Amino acid sequence: MFTAFHEAIADISATIRTHQNRTGRAVIGVMPAYFPLELIHAAGGYPVQLWGAGGSVEHADAYLQSCCCSVARSLLELEMRGVSGMVAAYAFTSLCDTLVNLREIYRRLFAKPTLEFSIPAAQTHAARKAYLTTVLEGILKGLESVTGRAVSGAALRASAALYGRIRSLQREVYRIRRQKPGVVKSRDFYTVLTAGFFLPPEDYASLLERLVGGLEAAAPHAGRRPRLVLSGMVFDPIGAHAIFDGVHADVVDDDFANGWRSAAKGALQVDDLVAGIADHLYHGAPCCCIYNPEQDRHDYLVEKVKAADADGVLFWSIRFCEPDAFDRPQLAERLRQEGIPAFTLEMDLATGNFESARTRVEAFVEMIGGLAS
Amino acid sequence: MTQLAAFNKMKELMTLYYIEAKTSTAKPVAWLTSGAPVEFVYAMDVIPVYPENYAAMCAASHQSVALMEAAEAAGFSQDICAYARTDFGQDLLQGGPAGGLPPPRFLVCSTNICKTVIKWYEAVARKYRVPLFLVDTPFLHDGLTREVVDYTVAQFQDLERFLAGQLKRPFDRDRLMEVIRMSREATGLWKKILDFAKTLPTPLTSLDAFIHVAPVVTLRGTRACVDYYQLLYEEVAERAARKIGAIPQERYRVLWDNLPIWFKMRYFEKFFEERQCALVAATYADSWGGIAAAQGIQASDPIEALAVSYLNIYINFGFEERIRYLARLIDEFALTGFIMHSNRSCKPYSVGMYGLREEVAKRTGKPGVVIEADQNDPRVFSETQVETRLDVFLESMLPLP
Repeated sequence: MFTAFHEAIADISATIRTHQNRTGRAVIGVMPAYFPLELIHAAGGYPVQLWGAGGSVEHADAYLQSCCCSVARSLLELEMRGVSGMVAAYAFTSLCDTLVNLREIYRRLFAKPTLEFSIPAAQTHAARKAYLTTVLEGILKGLESVTGRAVSGAALRASAALYGRIRSLQREVYRIRRQKPGVVKSRDFYTVLTAGFFLPPEDYASLLERLVGGLEAAAPHAGRRPRLVLSGMVFDPIGAHAIFDGVHADVVDDDFANGWRSAAKGALQVDDLVAGIADHLYHGAPCCCIYNPEQDRHDYLVEKVKAADADGVLFWSIRFCEPDAFDRPQLAERLRQEGIPAFTLEMDLATGNFESARTRVEAFVEMIGGLAS
Repeated sequence: MTQLAAFNKMKELMTLYYIEAKTSTAKPVAWLTSGAPVEFVYAMDVIPVYPENYAAMCAASHQSVALMEAAEAAGFSQDICAYARTDFGQDLLQGGPAGGLPPPRFLVCSTNICKTVIKWYEAVARKYRVPLFLVDTPFLHDGLTREVVDYTVAQFQDLERFLAGQLKRPFDRDRLMEVIRMSREATGLWKKILDFAKTLPTPLTSLDAFIHVAPVVTLRGTRACVDYYQLLYEEVAERAARKIGAIPQERYRVLWDNLPIWFKMRYFEKFFEERQCALVAATYADSWGGIAAAQGIQASDPIEALAVSYLNIYINFGFEERIRYLARLIDEFALTGFIMHSNRSCKPYSVGMYGLREEVAKRTGKPGVVIEADQNDPRVFSETQVETRLDVFLESMLPLP
């Protein structure tokens, strides 16, 4: 069931080049997070989502301190090594201070065009809406200059429907994982999501449809194992997810920016695009990087754990990610008040050896397993 | 630091400010970021308290480590800003030179200095269960635009409504205009004081500026602040006229980029003085002096001009603008080189700094050095490493003719 997804990410550059040659679309590298992929696709671009990479960082050291997050460092490394040569332009968002400055670094170092989705953080809907309108105008112009094609209403509706379908199918996979713990191994699950970062949406939607059919028919494993919800910005490094098989625990849900926080978004409403984008940004699953005083991450996470019948939360923390790190102590405290154990696992995308992480997760799982029984 | 008679006045001013903030029952207290539009808060007779200023005081008085350790024990990662950790620690222990900050009735923060403040103030808002008002000032990748100014002005209007709602009385526009006038007067005087460092020998150094910046951070918009800077202006002007140098010998004149290293002020004073090097320009101290008027934006009223000044902040600029600005300072202050503090705690200032150093050096022909440190956390400061890098830099720099 998962072979095609694993194949798609076995050699990501080859995957992107193959589809770029086939479709003739300009590859646009999409930086974390929440850039509306629909706009890129409707403008004739081929969006590939860049959430960081493994491997050592050597070239990027000349421009980014070691106290910058491994997402930013590894992405710059890819561009400096020429691995991202097929990327024609980059789409940034103003998600955090590092990404805002990273765009400036790219503008100084590389000739490739960059766009930015400046995400409003104003207090009121009216202020956000007016600013968002000008931001979107800038993005649409920028995309047109990269792809040579203006975004038409018809193209936007088709792209919105396609991405809406993808996220709806992803939510089905999430539902099946919650309802039948163990039916999808964690590594397979996140491979499915990762493949979606790089495959053209039409191909990815077909693969997801087949997968959902297969998973519906699959039987869950017998017995109840400790159940975890994972929370963090990114679910990488993907290799680390093999830990959960070894420690006999089931990941039943997540709160990742490149996981559920993205998949939770419905189809983009394009009749009023500004309202549609605002709805994507400020409603649905809350994110530590999106300021919205009307949403509360604490209630949200507690509800998520209860709905998934989970036994604990594992904070999957990428080092030097400030927005995620700031929220964690109070979030963990709230979980404890609700009787939900929580534990932080520090990660770095460059890490390839997960032995120490495995030992720590094992101890946590034993603890919650004891509590659950 | 340079022996300035005004120092005692400043000490008295800051002491009275903290005493009032800690003891006042008549006026409510709000916590603000250093780049928040405090004029609106003063206009409503609220006492603004600045956790950043207090965190710097904690570090300068060598009390930040114990406070940060308390925050870390409460779960806050060492990866987050050391100001925030110091603040969380002072709150937990009621520590630091003023015995902790008075609790806030509400919070006001602005993203012009970083996005980190959103997370920091959200944590404070949850802890105290108080409302937070955020003024979003988008990063100016390509300079100021009319849309961004309008966006900021619209938020100022929302801020007026927020304050009126919190304080249950109408917002006082007339008072705001008076506060804005005093705020401009103080920042104008501050800018003129900093400009005296263009004279040779410089009558004050950037290390002095880091100390004397405190009133313009905390009290801008008040008469006491204007009076203080008038006093300081006169003293520095006289020193400049009489050619009294801040250090005995001035062979090198350099710029300091990024926040000070608050726990090493005395150390750097001695270090640079021994090497006959005067720090004469600093982007951090300049941030409260108002940067040159924005290109193409004619502010039609005082509120709009205020929006421009809160957007037009060095670390809210794109890199091309930063390079131009640094090159201009290097030229106007007749500098022999520049020092960039790669500050673990401040991403907007530091991310991209290595490339900026290269470009500024190329554009100006002046040498620059990057040192790795932190504004508030002595545990990540390596004296040997910093000293070695600075010594190599100083040796390679051409002195003044």
